Amino acid sequence: MLTAKDIHKSFGELEVLKGVDLHVSPQEVVVLVGVSGSGKSTLLRCFNFLEMINSGEIIIDGKSVNSKKDNLSKIRAEVGMVFQHFNLFPHKTVLENIIEAPMMVKKKKKEEAMIHAKKLLEKVGLSDKADVYPNKLSGGQKQRVAIARSLAMEPKVMLFDEPTSALDPELVSEVLGVMRQLAQEGMTMVVVTHEMRFAREVADRIVMIDEGQIIESADPKTFFENPSQERTKQFIQLVG
Amino acid sequence: MPETFYTIVDVFTRTLSGFLDAAVVTLQLTAVGIVLGCLLGLFFALLKLSKSKPLQLIANIYITIIRGTPLIVQIVFLYYGIAEFVTLSNFQAGAIALGVHSGAYIAEIFRGAIQGIDKGQSEASSSLGMTKTQSMRRIIFPQALKRSIPPLGNQFIITLKDSSLVYVIGVAELFSLANREAAQSFKPFETYVVVGLYYLVLVMIFTYLLHLYEKKLDVDKD
Repeated sequence: MLTAKDIHKSFGELEVLKGVDLHVSPQEVVVLVGVSGSGKSTLLRCFNFLEMINSGEIIIDGKSVNSKKDNLSKIRAEVGMVFQHFNLFPHKTVLENIIEAPMMVKKKKKEEAMIHAKKLLEKVGLSDKADVYPNKLSGGQKQRVAIARSLAMEPKVMLFDEPTSALDPELVSEVLGVMRQLAQEGMTMVVVTHEMRFAREVADRIVMIDEGQIIESADPKTFFENPSQERTKQFIQLVG
Repeated sequence: MPETFYTIVDVFTRTLSGFLDAAVVTLQLTAVGIVLGCLLGLFFALLKLSKSKPLQLIANIYITIIRGTPLIVQIVFLYYGIAEFVTLSNFQAGAIALGVHSGAYIAEIFRGAIQGIDKGQSEASSSLGMTKTQSMRRIIFPQALKRSIPPLGNQFIITLKDSSLVYVIGVAELFSLANREAAQSFKPFETYVVVGLYYLVLVMIFTYLLHLYEKKLDVDKD
């Protein structure tokens, strides 16, 4: 579904990704972990070309993407992204946030987009919030709307960039609950998170990134109980 | 003092119909100036924000020249200076000068407001598959416009007052009329007080309308 081959990415002098290879199969849930600055968010952002790679190859749904020639908007429309800070559109209601891209990008009719949006709101448990503006929502509610907004494009894969890091602790579980449900429904997901319990329970595979390279890639049981690298052991101890 | 007051009232009533006509011309000049200024401002703001160096350069040249020269020079330039090539009526020349002039300032207002919108907004719209244009039109600009309203209001008020400079090419607006009245009636003090009051009242009405509009925008939203 999603393959990265030998990805290199630098910001000026600083090389953030130093040759990363990752393959995500359909319906697989991959959790990316690592200390801050390790490059995990950058890698995720490369997958939908919010960051352009310096070298390497990104293959989405069997097609190698050339970021210079290809229509990136079209590719991004198939890759959902959920951000740490939600990035809802503050001047639009919850419902308008969700129907915007389907109408603009997929040229869906408004009625059709609204029916779909309402279903998605029901799915994330926010049917009663359709007509409110984002500033009236809690962080957890905002993030659930952001997930619904991404899903409205019917993406083939969903990327989550620390989706619960900006939330008050008591709001984390409602967002993880929605993500868990998505995973169970067979959505292909790549998740950057510090929620180790979520990783343990939901991930098919946990990938550890350290200093711009993947140093460990294993199923949760092996990852937590029998990691191959000393750095991974240290990390697990650090995050509990 | 009471005497002065009576002569002011006298001048006011005697010139009322003339000044009302002139006020309409002032408002017309201002309206054309503002609309044109907003269009030019948006256009040059987008040029300045584009990735193309030549386009940025064009915007910078426009802004530098317009902000670096007096409006009164721009007005006479458009009326007398280019008369050989383009003939404009004095109203047209005045209104266009006001638009071109305010456009340079409005470009900077829009540019600042657009740049001030959180990067996450364009990232979110890109990640949903929206093109740069769609994202600008539907997501970024509406938010930027809202933030532009206080400084735009200021700029509109400046344009309203700046329209008085158009007297120099003889457009029959408030200040031209005031000059003529003052000279003919030998009552400069009273006449300029009266014309000042016209501007003051217009600006106050303007400010009030803007205030209402800002309030309306704030309902329900952030």
